[in-house]
Amino acid sequence: MSNSSTTIDRQKGFAGGAELFRVRQIPDSVESKPVSHVAADPPSVNPAASKAYYFWLMMPAIIVLAFISIYPFFWMIYMSLHDVDIGKVEWNNFENFTKLASDTRFLMGWWLLIQYSVMCLTLQLIIGVFLAVALNGSRWEKVLVTTLLMPMMVAPLVAGMVWYFLYNGTFGWYHWLFQSLGILGAKSILASADTAMLGLVLVDVWQWTPLITLITLAGLKRVPQDQLEANMVDGASPLRNFVSVTLPNLYPVLLIAIMLRFMDNFRFIDSILVLTGGGPGNATKILPVYLFEVSFKFFKLGRGAAIALILLIVTIILGMLLVRIFDRQQPKKA
Amino acid sequence: MFSIPKNAAYQRINRRKFLELGGGAATALGAGGLTLGLGSTITRSRVQAASTDDAKWKQYAGSKLVFMSENTPPSFAIRDNIKAFTDKTGIEVTILTDDLPVVQQKVGIDLRGGKADYVLNYVQDKPIGSPFADFYADMTPMFGDETLPQDPEGYGDEAWFPNFLSACGRFYQKGKIIALPYDAAIACTFYRQDLFEANSKDFEAEYGYRLEFNKDSTWQNVIDMAAFFKKAKEAGKDVPYGYAQHQGSFAWTTQLDIQRFLFANGRWMDWNIDDVYGSKEPGKTNWGDESSIAMLGKFKELADVCHPDNLANGTLELNTVYQSGNIAMQTQYHEFAASIEDEKTSRAAGGKTAYAPCPKGDPKWIKNGGEAVNGTNCGIGGIGINGNASDDLKRAAYIFAIWSVSQENQYNVLKGLGGTPTRKSVLEREDVKKAQQRPTHMPNALTFDPVYNFGIKDPNFVLGPKIPNGNEYHSILAAEVQKCLSNEQSPEEAAKSIQTQLDELNGAG
Repeated sequence: MSNSSTTIDRQKGFAGGAELFRVRQIPDSVESKPVSHVAADPPSVNPAASKAYYFWLMMPAIIVLAFISIYPFFWMIYMSLHDVDIGKVEWNNFENFTKLASDTRFLMGWWLLIQYSVMCLTLQLIIGVFLAVALNGSRWEKVLVTTLLMPMMVAPLVAGMVWYFLYNGTFGWYHWLFQSLGILGAKSILASADTAMLGLVLVDVWQWTPLITLITLAGLKRVPQDQLEANMVDGASPLRNFVSVTLPNLYPVLLIAIMLRFMDNFRFIDSILVLTGGGPGNATKILPVYLFEVSFKFFKLGRGAAIALILLIVTIILGMLLVRIFDRQQPKKA
Repeated sequence: MFSIPKNAAYQRINRRKFLELGGGAATALGAGGLTLGLGSTITRSRVQAASTDDAKWKQYAGSKLVFMSENTPPSFAIRDNIKAFTDKTGIEVTILTDDLPVVQQKVGIDLRGGKADYVLNYVQDKPIGSPFADFYADMTPMFGDETLPQDPEGYGDEAWFPNFLSACGRFYQKGKIIALPYDAAIACTFYRQDLFEANSKDFEAEYGYRLEFNKDSTWQNVIDMAAFFKKAKEAGKDVPYGYAQHQGSFAWTTQLDIQRFLFANGRWMDWNIDDVYGSKEPGKTNWGDESSIAMLGKFKELADVCHPDNLANGTLELNTVYQSGNIAMQTQYHEFAASIEDEKTSRAAGGKTAYAPCPKGDPKWIKNGGEAVNGTNCGIGGIGINGNASDDLKRAAYIFAIWSVSQENQYNVLKGLGGTPTRKSVLEREDVKKAQQRPTHMPNALTFDPVYNFGIKDPNFVLGPKIPNGNEYHSILAAEVQKCLSNEQSPEEAAKSIQTQLDELNGAG
């Protein structure tokens, strides 16, 4: 608070009271600069490193990556163009690819994979976002989120085994429940070509919806409260608030969640192998399961490599599309 | 408080040096673990033909072998008793067991990759023998090798039950044996005698013959029985379903289920090839012919009156359905009798179950002019030696192989865990003969009469088809038949679709 009788003069101290208070004299040149500029840089302990130094630091990681990722990738491309057997690798005029065009199991595998991924993603997004909104800020948020995360911590193979027993027509508890509720008839869910896929989707939804919930919850914490409050002051209902403020702010995190889950679905086989092995008939033989069969049951490594390469290329293209959509959602920098 | 010497190790080693040493040690441990952890190793003392028997058994003392096997009773029993082998030979054997599909993948990668991480393999005839036969060592040179120990009963066909050696040991070329019969799963009929007796009058009133099962019972009778039980159950009577098939996710047991049915009716087979040796070029398939379409129609007729979970029940699940009292009859592998007769876990135990040969074909159904037989098939698990292994490793592995299939071992497995012998001499033991009648302490022995004295003998037994593309054939067949049973396609469409795919698979399109 200023005092009318004793005005402060930086150069002279208190007018009329210089003896009473001694004011530290700070030069303007110092005060106008940020502190960091004022403080002298401490002498560097490490001398400036050369590019070669960093290159050698990264070398072990590059070698490991080359062995586990880059080399197999190029080897896969090479295999996809050949008939591969022990001691025999023969060029086959792109036959591995051309034959796939008439392979009904390959084509059906794509169709089933799309069905499976769309069903899983849709249900996981709806349930995951709903759960996140319900849990956000609730008194039990931490406890419930921890509980919800448990399925994610189960190995997919183990999850498959657990659900296999739950679905079992002889002693499965869920089978009994579904029958008691009139959802299922005499057949268990995995015994019919009409319902087996649904059985697999339920397992995926159970296991991976918590991931969507977790990501969405993180996104919800970043929704600007002032926008929400302003909207509410303007009389918006909670639903309107969610649709016009929360959801647009969630787009980036939801896109990341979608990308993670769809990439997972495109390489997923663990619990399907345990639950149905792709049957009944080929009703659940999604492309990754067929790829596994071709490579490690039929040992047609060239054909398997061709399927894997196509699957990889499609995954990359879809991933790039999602990243592009993601980029469009980002606010433009000035 | 403590006196620290000036030259203490930690003072002489700086942080950088410590990290270098740690990294080096970790690398060495990792590499060493990879080298020694799994692989087989060999040490040898020279023996002559005139050496003592003991010296021949012990010539590879100090060696280590790895045996990759299916999780079946013989492997568990041998693992429990492996000390006896190590004491006799000085060889250490690590027995790894897993589900058959996993075993198939692991040994497949090992064999085709030119490796010998698993020097001994469980060679199940269809999923492992057919596709990988060329990668196994020929055992015949070792049979007569005087510098190796030999089983006094020998290894010829006469030592084993009929067709067993051919099923798991002979593939594509004469004179080569790739595996010795280690365990066996032979199909036979398990049925609930108590339920058959209780419902006989009602059945007879409806169908005009008694509800009983014997070696002359046909597949038409099975359809009648399954239909009768289903109808009674759906009418609210306290009875289980009548029958169920092996139509779950194991493609090769699904193939066996279909094969039994088609072979019984005119000895129909998928290809016109040698049933013992098979063929690498089987040519055009018989699928799509009049017999296959008609039989698939009958197979569907049976499926329609089966337990509703027919398409989810693989072999293990089917046995569980029977154990839990939910079906009155199943065609099942005789190794499962031990679990059926276990009163702690089975509602079908305690003398309720009777065992008979597989159902017979119905002469009225036959279209190809063949005879009606009790079509019986099998999964014979052999023990084979990886062809990529060194000569000494093969010889050491041979010593284990002949020990594991010896009469004494098979008898112990039968007595202990309920195994299924492959050597004829096991059945000649007095207590095994006695065990074939109730009460018995060897429940699998209850199946021996219908299986060993009837089912596995010609003309009932079918071994093949042995083709290199066996696993893809099983997969195609299982998928198309299951689609037919799910009403997704007609029997004719299914048979034609199988024909097209198999001919393309074998380059005979």
